[in-house]
Formats: sequence, structure tokens, C-alpha cells
Amino acid sequence: MKGFSFLIFSFLFGQSLSVFATEDKFYFEAPEQQALFFELTKELRCPKCQNQNIADSDAMIAIDLKRKVYQLLQQGQTKEEVIDFMKLRYGDFVYYQPPVNSMTIWLWLLPLFFICIAIAGIVLGRKRQVSHLDDEKLKKAKALLESD
Amino acid sequence: MKKFMIFLLPLLVFLGLLAFLYQGLFSDPREHESTLLEQSMPKFVLPDLMETQKTYSQEIFEGKVTLLNVWGVWCVTCAVELPYLQQLKEDGKHIVGLYYDQDIDPDFGIKTVARVQQEVKEKLAQLGNPYAFNIFDVKRDLSLDLGVTGAPETFLIDQTGKIRLHHIGDINPRVWNTKFAPIYNKLVAN
Repeated sequence: MKGFSFLIFSFLFGQSLSVFATEDKFYFEAPEQQALFFELTKELRCPKCQNQNIADSDAMIAIDLKRKVYQLLQQGQTKEEVIDFMKLRYGDFVYYQPPVNSMTIWLWLLPLFFICIAIAGIVLGRKRQVSHLDDEKLKKAKALLESD
Repeated sequence: MKKFMIFLLPLLVFLGLLAFLYQGLFSDPREHESTLLEQSMPKFVLPDLMETQKTYSQEIFEGKVTLLNVWGVWCVTCAVELPYLQQLKEDGKHIVGLYYDQDIDPDFGIKTVARVQQEVKEKLAQLGNPYAFNIFDVKRDLSLDLGVTGAPETFLIDQTGKIRLHHIGDINPRVWNTKFAPIYNKLVAN
């Protein structure tokens, strides 16, 4: 039992050690800068492994980009400056938030367009239903109801 | 007519969607416009791979049409394209290597340069050496400035030191003829 709990303890302790090690690799004086580093590495996309951000990826390019982000932050660059630096080299692709331009505007316009069409369809459909009830039919219905 | 439209419209939308998704099957997600096209080579000062006391800067690209090939001995596809690059060199193309090593972690361990040189010599002796010389991108800074995502990648640089083409992946006869040759021949003709 004692040996078993030691095993668990050493496992947990070993785990936490490795976590510290990765954080130590990029040492920050200011906590805000560290927060910014974590934010940026989450929002920058790894150019090699396309569905991962550079924080999650272990590809060499992701490690290099993380190091670059760290260096730039150490130089006192702002978030926008770091993003621009990356975009200049890897294109808009490297940042998860796409810019609004003539190509990407459709991402916002098309859903609106479909919603408008759907609303128009519903409204027109309602109108048509109502128009089926012309006066003669109404009279007939009334007569039927009254005859009961 | 109206009824006809009601049936036809969803069909048309469906066919449109089908065409869109079908062409998506064959598009290469790695392919995206390089932001460096028509730009000058980024500034750098880096050593020669074989004689590390000798250094190069962006000025070496002026006056010659150059193919800058990013590679490493650890890269399998690079080994595949080496013989074809060798052939291109024999046809008189000026090919410069941008070498970087995977095992050199700038934050931690350093593989000795002698060891890297040894590996490169063995590889080139085995598969042919297409390079006029190799620039050693020690910390992979130049690769990052060039927007390199891996190896092999090749840049076509004109006489004024401007990047005219950025190709991700290997160079083979098909890629050369369709992608490189038109631009290369025009540059050389000037």
C-alpha cells in the first residue's frame, strides 16, 4: 500500500515538474506579458499542421513561431505588431480571425442573405394562404356552420 | 412555370454545392499565396555551411537568377528531389541551398557543426550535389522571415534580388515545366 501511494505521488509530482519545465522555457518578468504570450499562441495558427494553434502544436515551425512571439514580446512589441509580423511572413492564414475584404465579406453576407430569403419565403407563403380564402368560400363556410 | 421553378431551384442549388465541394477535394490546403512575392530578399547575415567563418548576406542574390532551395538531410522529400536538382544544375541553373537542421534547438542542445557537415557531405556524395554553396540557417531565422513552413521549399529569385516564386514541396519535371520554367526563361532572357 505504501509503495503504491508512493507510486501515485511520484507520478503526480513528476507530471507537475514537466509542466513547470515548459513554462520555464519562456520566462516573463511581467504577468501581463505572459498572459499576452498565451493569448497570442492560442490565436496564431500553425502553418504546417493546419487545424492546430501554435500553442498546441509540437511541429518545429510552431516551436520556432512561439520562440519568435516570445522574442518580439520581450522587445516590447504589442499584440497587433506581433500579429502583423506573422501576417507579413505567413499571410492572413496564420491568424485565426480572418480580415474583412472583398473575398471574405461573403462569410458575413451570405448567412444574412439566406435569412432574408427564408423570411421572404415565409411571408409570401402566409400571404398566399390568406388569399385562398376568397369571399365566396367564406360565405359557403358560414352557411355550412349556420346550417348545423 | 412556378411549380417547375420550385423543383428546379433546389436542384440548381444542390448542383452548385456539389461543384463547390467537388473541386475542394482536389485543392491543396497547404497552397496559399506567399506574401513575399515581388519583395526583396529579407536581410540576413549567415555563415556558409561548410566554411562557417565565411558569411553571406542578401546581396549575394544580385546579378544572377537563383533558385534558393530550403532543405536538410533529415527531410525525406528533399532526398527525392536532389537528383532532379542535380540535373537542373547541369543545365546551367544557379542553385543555392538554405540548410537548416531539425535537431538544433536554439534554446537547448546544439548538435556540433562538424557533425552536421559530416551528414551533409555523406548525403550529397550519395545523391549528387546541385548546390553552388549552402547557407547555414543556424537558428532558422531566415526561414521564418521567408515564411518557410517546412522542407523542401524553393524560391526563384531574380537578378535584382526579388522573390518571384515560392514553391512548397519538391521540384520535379512537372512542377518545373508548369510553374518554374515560364518565369525562369523570361528572367534569363532579360
